[in-house]
Order: sequence, then C-alpha cells, then structure tokens
Amino acid sequence: MKTTLKTALAGLATCLAFTPALAEDIKVGLLLPYSGVYASLGQDIDDGFALALETYGAETGATFDLIREDTEVSPPVGLAKTRKLVLQDKVDVMAGIVSSGVLGAVRDMVHGSKVPLIVANAGNDEATGESCSPYVVRLSFSNGQVNRPMGQWMFDQGITKVYTLAPDYAAGHQMIDAFAEAFTAAGGEIVGQEYTPFRKTQDFGPYLTKAQASGAEAVFVFYAGGEAISFVKQYDSFGLKTDLPLYGSGFLTSSLYVNAQGPAAEGVITALHYVPTIDSVENKDFVAAFTEKTGRIPSEYAVHGYDSARALIEATKTGASDRETIAAALGKVSFTGPRGPLSIDPATNNLIQLIYVYETVAGETGLTQKVLATLPAQQDPVNGCVLK
Amino acid sequence: MFRHTPLRIATLVLLGAAAILYGLNAEYFGLEILTEIAILAILVIALDMVAGFGGMVSLFHGALMGIGAYGFTLLATKAGVAPLPAMIGAMALGGVVGWIVGAICARTHGIYFIMATLAFGQMAYSYIFESSFFGGDDGLSGAPRLDLSGLGIDLNDSRGFAFFALALLLAAYLAAVAILRSGLGRSVTGILHSEQRMRALGLNVWRVKAAIFGLSGVLAGLAGTLAAQHIMYVSPGLLAWTVSGEALVVVILGGLGTLVGPVVGAAFFVLLKHEVSAHTTHWHLVVGVILIAVVMSRANGIFGWLEARVARWQGRTHAAKTGNLALEGDSDA
Amino acid sequence: MTSDPGFWILQGLNALQLSMLLFLLSVGLTVIFGLMHFVNLAHGALYALGAYVAASVAAAVGYWPALIAAPLAVALVGVVLYGGLIKRMRKAGPMSQVLVTFGLIFAMLDLTRIIWGDFALGIDVPQILSGRAAFLGIEYPIYRLFIIALGGLAFVALTLVLSRTQIGAMIRAGVDNDEMAACLGINVEKLFFIVFCVGCGLAGLAGAIAAPLLSVTPDMGLQILIPTLIVIVIGGLGSLQGAIAGSLIYGFVQTFGAVLAPQLASVLIYALLAAVLVIKPAGLFPAKG
Repeated sequence: MKTTLKTALAGLATCLAFTPALAEDIKVGLLLPYSGVYASLGQDIDDGFALALETYGAETGATFDLIREDTEVSPPVGLAKTRKLVLQDKVDVMAGIVSSGVLGAVRDMVHGSKVPLIVANAGNDEATGESCSPYVVRLSFSNGQVNRPMGQWMFDQGITKVYTLAPDYAAGHQMIDAFAEAFTAAGGEIVGQEYTPFRKTQDFGPYLTKAQASGAEAVFVFYAGGEAISFVKQYDSFGLKTDLPLYGSGFLTSSLYVNAQGPAAEGVITALHYVPTIDSVENKDFVAAFTEKTGRIPSEYAVHGYDSARALIEATKTGASDRETIAAALGKVSFTGPRGPLSIDPATNNLIQLIYVYETVAGETGLTQKVLATLPAQQDPVNGCVLK
Repeated sequence: MFRHTPLRIATLVLLGAAAILYGLNAEYFGLEILTEIAILAILVIALDMVAGFGGMVSLFHGALMGIGAYGFTLLATKAGVAPLPAMIGAMALGGVVGWIVGAICARTHGIYFIMATLAFGQMAYSYIFESSFFGGDDGLSGAPRLDLSGLGIDLNDSRGFAFFALALLLAAYLAAVAILRSGLGRSVTGILHSEQRMRALGLNVWRVKAAIFGLSGVLAGLAGTLAAQHIMYVSPGLLAWTVSGEALVVVILGGLGTLVGPVVGAAFFVLLKHEVSAHTTHWHLVVGVILIAVVMSRANGIFGWLEARVARWQGRTHAAKTGNLALEGDSDA
Repeated sequence: MTSDPGFWILQGLNALQLSMLLFLLSVGLTVIFGLMHFVNLAHGALYALGAYVAASVAAAVGYWPALIAAPLAVALVGVVLYGGLIKRMRKAGPMSQVLVTFGLIFAMLDLTRIIWGDFALGIDVPQILSGRAAFLGIEYPIYRLFIIALGGLAFVALTLVLSRTQIGAMIRAGVDNDEMAACLGINVEKLFFIVFCVGCGLAGLAGAIAAPLLSVTPDMGLQILIPTLIVIVIGGLGSLQGAIAGSLIYGFVQTFGAVLAPQLASVLIYALLAAVLVIKPAGLFPAKG
C-alpha cells in the first residue's frame, strides 16, 4: 500500500513537472513556525534567510519568489502546508522545518513528490540516516553530530563520571545517546540518566536533587527554549554549579535566550555548531549585518536560515532551476559561512561542519560566548542511509 | 428527541449542495479544507450526541478521535490488516473505550463530569506521547488510504478523498439521527431533563449513559480513521485536550443539541481559521473574541440563533413552537 | 540514594514548594467557584499575565515593586473582566461560562504575544533571596523557601479571614446559600466582585513568584491550567481545605512520582484524579454536602 501511494505521488509529481517553470524565477516555499512555542526560532530563521538573499542574491541570475507558510509546530499542519506548496503553489524548492516531528511527517511527501527540501533546523538523526532522501538536504545539524564530540572532549578534561538529563522525546534521547556512547567509548562512566516529561516539567528540583546524590563529577544535559531557561536557573539556585559543573548541548545556553537565564548561565560549558563570537571575517560580517537588520545578535537558528538561503543561491549558480536540478546541485554545495567551511556529506546529505565548545561568560552587554575549543569537522555515520 | 424541522432539512440540503459544488470546482487547497471540515463535522456530531442531547459535556472526544486514528494506523501498518477491516476495528475500539469511560464517568455531573473526561483524555495523551510503541512525540507515519479503485474511485486523489469524507459525514449524520430517535436516544434526552424521574421509572441510568457515550465513541473513532487517512500520519497532538476544547467550541458556535448546527459550526470554524491565519498569525485572538461574542449574545450558536428567529417569525402565525434546548445542557448538575 | 535522609528532606521541600505555588493559584479559582459557581478557565492566563507584568516591572525598577505591581495589575484586569463579562454571565449557566473563559484564554494568549513577543523572559531574584540556606544537614535555595513561606502565610491569612472576620462570615454564608445570604441583607453582588478581584490578584501573585523560578513564556498559562484544575477537583470545588489538600497531594505525588517511578510520573496524577472522581465524585473536601 505504501509503495502504491508513493508511485501515485510520484506520478502526480511527474505530471506537475511538465508545467514549464521560468528558468530564472524560482519559487521557494518557507515552512516555519510563525506561531506557537517555536515562533521565535522561526522568526530568526526567516530573518537569516532574508538576509542571505539580500547579501548574495546578486551573485546568481535567478530571482526568488518566497511563499511563507506557518507550520504551527504541528505535524499535521506542517504536512498540509507542504502539500499545498507542492501541489497548489508548485514551488521549485522548500526550506525550513524547525521541529523533528514535522520533518518526520513531511518526509514521505517530499521524497515522493521529488521537491527538494532544505532543512533549516530539525535535527533528528533518521532524516539523514535510515529515512534519508536525495531530496532532503540538511543545512542545520544532526542531534548526534553536535553532541558526539563532547564525549571525548569532556573525558580529556579529566571528567570520568557523568549524570545526564534531557526531555523525554526523540531528540532528547538522540542527543544524550550520542554523547553517552562517545563518552563511555573514551573511558568515562554514565552514573545515572533521567528523562523528564517533555514540555510538562517546570520544576526540575526533584531531578536535580537526584543528580546531586548520584556521585557524578559533572552533569551533561540537553534542554532548549523555555525548558532550558528554567533548567539553568534552577540548577544555579540549588548551588550545584560549583561542585557539579554543568555541561551540555549548546542549545542549553543559546544566544537566543541566554540573557533570560541571567548570571545563572555563567560558567556553563556546552558544544554547538555555531556561536556568535566565532573569530572569523565571515562571521563578523554576518553578525554586523544581522544586528543592523534586526537589532538582535544572530543565534544558531539565524545561521541555519542564512546558510540555507546561501546553499540555494550556490545551487542556482550552477545553472539549476527546477526541482530535479536544484535537488542534485544542493547535494554538492560547499562554501565557507559564518560557521566555517561547510560541505554536504555525499553519503547522507547532512552538513559536515565544525563543532565549537564554548563557555557562557559575562560580557560588556549581557552574557556572551567564549570559545574554548574548535573540534574538527564532524561527519555522521551513514546510519543505514541509502540515497536514491 | 431529535426532530427534522423544515429549517434543518433546508440547511442540510444547502450545505450538501454547497459542498458538492465546491468539491467539484475547488483547487487542491480548497479540497484539503473541505476534507478537514468533513472530519471535524463527524467529530462534532459525535460530541453533540452526548453533550447536546445527553448533557454530558466531554473533553474526551479528542482522545477518542486519536484512539481511532492510532488504532487504524497500527492495525494497518504494524498488524498488516487491510484498510477496511482496520477502519472497522478502529471504530470498534473507539466504541469500547468510549463505553468504558462513559460508564466510569456516568456518576459525575456538571463540571465534575467535564473534569473526569479531561483526566481520562490527558491520561491517554500522556501515555501515547511517552510510549515508544506509539512512536512517542514523533508519531507514526504510513497510514494507508482505503482502496476503492474497484468502484472507480481513486482516494489518493484529493477530490476523490474529499467526496469520500463527505459521504462518510452523511453516513455519520444519519447514524446519529437514527440513534437519537431510537429508544436509547429518548432515554438519553429523558435523563437530561430529569435524571431522578428516569431513575424512578426504573431506568438504569449509567447503562444508558455508557451506551450513548460508546456509540458516540464509534463516530469519533470514524473521524479519527479519516484523519489518519487524510494526512497519512498520526501524532499525539490529535489527543491533546485543546482538540476536545476546540470541538466543544465548534459545537457551541454552531448550536448545541441541534446536530445540524455543529456541522454549520465546523464549516464556519475551519473557514474562519484559514481565512484569519492567511492574514495574521494571531488567529487565536480573533477566534477567542468571536467565541466570547457568540456566547455573550445568549443565542444558542449560529444555528440556534437562526432557529429562534424562524420560530419567532412562525410564532406570529402559528401557535408558539417548543423552543430548543438552551445552552445550559447540564441542568441536573 | 534512598538511605540518605537529606535526600528525602530535599525532595519533601521540593514537593512542598510545588504545592504552595499551586495553592496560590488554585485557592482563588476554588473560592470564586464556591461562591459564584463560576469556573474561570482563564485563571491560568491571568497567572501568565502576572508573570509578564512582573518581568517588565522587575526589569525597570526591581523585584520588590514587581511583586506588588503584578497582583495589583492582574486584579485590575479582574475588575475590567468582571464589569465587562463575568457580571453578565453570572446567570448564564456553567457551560456558557466555561466557553467564555475558554475564549478569553485564546484572546489573552495572543495579546501577551503581541505585547511581549515570543521570546522567553526571565527575572533575577533579589540578593536577599538568592543563595541557599543550610539546615538539618542540607542546603536549600532560599527563594524556594520563600515560596513555601508565602504559600503558608496565604493559607493562614485566608483561613483567619474566612473564619474570624465579618467578610469571611459573609463569604461562608454566600458559599452555603447565596440566595439566603442575599435575604439576610448581604450585598452578594459586591461580595462576588471583591472575591473575584482578590482571586485574580492571587493568580497574579502566583505568576510573579513563579517568574524567577521558571521562564516566562506565552504558553505558561496553558501549562499550569490543567494542574490547577486537577488540584481543585481532587480537593473539592469551593473549599479552602480542599485547595490546600489538593495542592499537597498534587505536589507530593508529582515530585515523588518523578523520583520513584519516572516512567509513570505523568500518568500517575491523572489516574489519581480519575480514581478520586469515581470514589468521591465531588472531591475530597466539597464545600457543601
């Protein structure tokens, strides 16, 4: 049944592909949450995307016609909007997707209709693993990629016993699993693990008390958004930071909301694929341009949007102008962006990029990020991905 | 008991004609909206059966729909059951779960009934959300659509599926009318007017309540199987209490206890949501204000207001007709 | 871990802290219901509003003014709501009331987004409340002790007001039988108005004290609504004892559920609620027989 469905969709897509598109005008569907809990992430990605089109748009002969759709962070809504973009608006390429749930929901539609999708946030490992697709190219990160290098790095700092905490949903498990695997492979020991009910945990006190009693030397966590703010503040209020230093996935202290955490975030050490304080010409130009445009410091989400648009421009520079050629060209792009040198892994369509270990420190105007180490470019294992 | 007044029949014919005309002419996204309306309409018909005619204001119906959707997807993908028996199985599951929850909650009244159904709904939601067997937060994909190619209908085509959903909506409506006109339906309305009197007459009240709740669960389950086939993907969000809350809003906007009204409400709600969200991301604000205005107006929803106007107009010539059920459904609370 | 008494004391305090936060929220809701038979689903939205006002005021002039301004501002919103909506809905039956307040949730959710944006806000705790206190061989955050104390204080104060003062007697009479109370010359309308505004103010206060502990986000009101409803339904609508008992049950079940049976933690509380409703359909301490 599933295969008949796919053939049906593919058939539908071939019919639609006959509609001749103007070679120079490319219709881009942006699928982002403009409302709901991730609205601020969607806004940052959108701003980054627009900025890259302004900055690099002149380099290509193509012009871009943007159609924005609100996914409301809801898989069914995201899927309905994707179908609208593909079937009614007949877009040439889509970009966006913040939540892994939405990405999982739209994946078959994207694959079946052969409309390329540039993933600008969602990090679920399967998207560039067992359910990868030649039409899904990720310009953001994968959950494993960001956390795996921290396993070795933390062990190298002399930490041998770690307690982990994360929200109880797929991304939480993937982030922690990747770290834990690398950490134990390096010789460390995970002395305790806890997964908190996702979006239902406001008081982390009970879990923090457990971590304190576990005999660990450090705590490694993944939290994002509102949960990250509560977690970091409560961790500090329990006075754990001095005896039990807090490490984590870099989303914990994202520049997007680190100032809502206040002094509680000082000294927290995390790893991420982008921080606004990376010392490079490309990054400084980007930060200056983004700040001038929006009045905000760009977060990793803004960079996802920026690099997604940049990748699209790079793809069109090779002459790609319709669904099939754009998809093929996207898989081969490489350029140096604010995060450093980027290229697409030909085996999985996931981005290969550097990982930065950073400490949140007090700066002149609020909190800022001090890069402690730049870890070599990370390439995910193939994870059963067959691109066809 | 439910009656087909001329106004109700006229509205149904009008709605049906509009749906068919729209369905024949709409583009892709219009067909999506039509399908969405049909699915929501089935759910609110199920809800109106218990809330409007039985005074059982349920916040469990989102969960019943979700159970139907998950039941269908699991049967069709993991158990390898053909889509049609999977649909029937999922509806039966909705009925059984509905019956059990209805039986347990039957003792409570008014706000306590609402809270009890909310508690069961949240239990189902939390369980599915956290269970890896159900795909957790990421949900399950791969729900197939029914194969009606033998009848010359292609359900993988948006237009075919929209008309399929409309046909099932009609079937659900007729089933609800038949149930409400049966002996069971009369008992339910009797309980709404005076539970004590019905009890004195020797009626087993909880059994009646459980039965109607179970039948309502079958219809909600049907809505769920359709939702799963429509988006070919299920996620725990289907079971969230806000889905039940929105369904309740639709019933009230349309007209509680009129069966036709909620269908009007479903069409109105889905169209409004799409229109407003095309212009602003703040559609909640607009819907909230409209909801407040409708309830404050003291009319029984859009359709109830229409019925009251027609009744007043008729009242000038004929003897006064009996009014419909007022908003205060749970009068014996 | 189980052998260390300090661990259990800490977890007990965690449970107590959660209970007291929920108590401040649920007491307003339950007394409004007991007196006016009015279920205000927008209570959670008022709590979120309190948190936002507190965050804004704290950013401008500091924490203590915020702690006073937030309940006052939310009580003022209560005045407007009462005059504009609630008064007219008084006779409209529970269904309409539930729906009007459901509409209010929608409207207020978007209004806070329009005014304060989607970005999460945070508040810093004043110097005197930050840090930890050491006692019984453990260390515990002072701010959490402050919440426990504030909740306890509110409980004692409300108990005294209800049992010892004239207005308390009037409220009790109104809860028992509002028509009879009106016959005895009590101005029931005015009583409703006062209780409604005080209830809103308490929700605002809860928002203000929760703000430094949690993060201030548009959906925080929706998140807290279900726990609050569970508390008052378990406790029994309309009674102060019910609110405190329900809050304690919720706080302890949630905390120790998370510690002892993490896989069951989120289902446990709903199962408990269902069990209470089946065994005692009107809750543990209903306001009237």
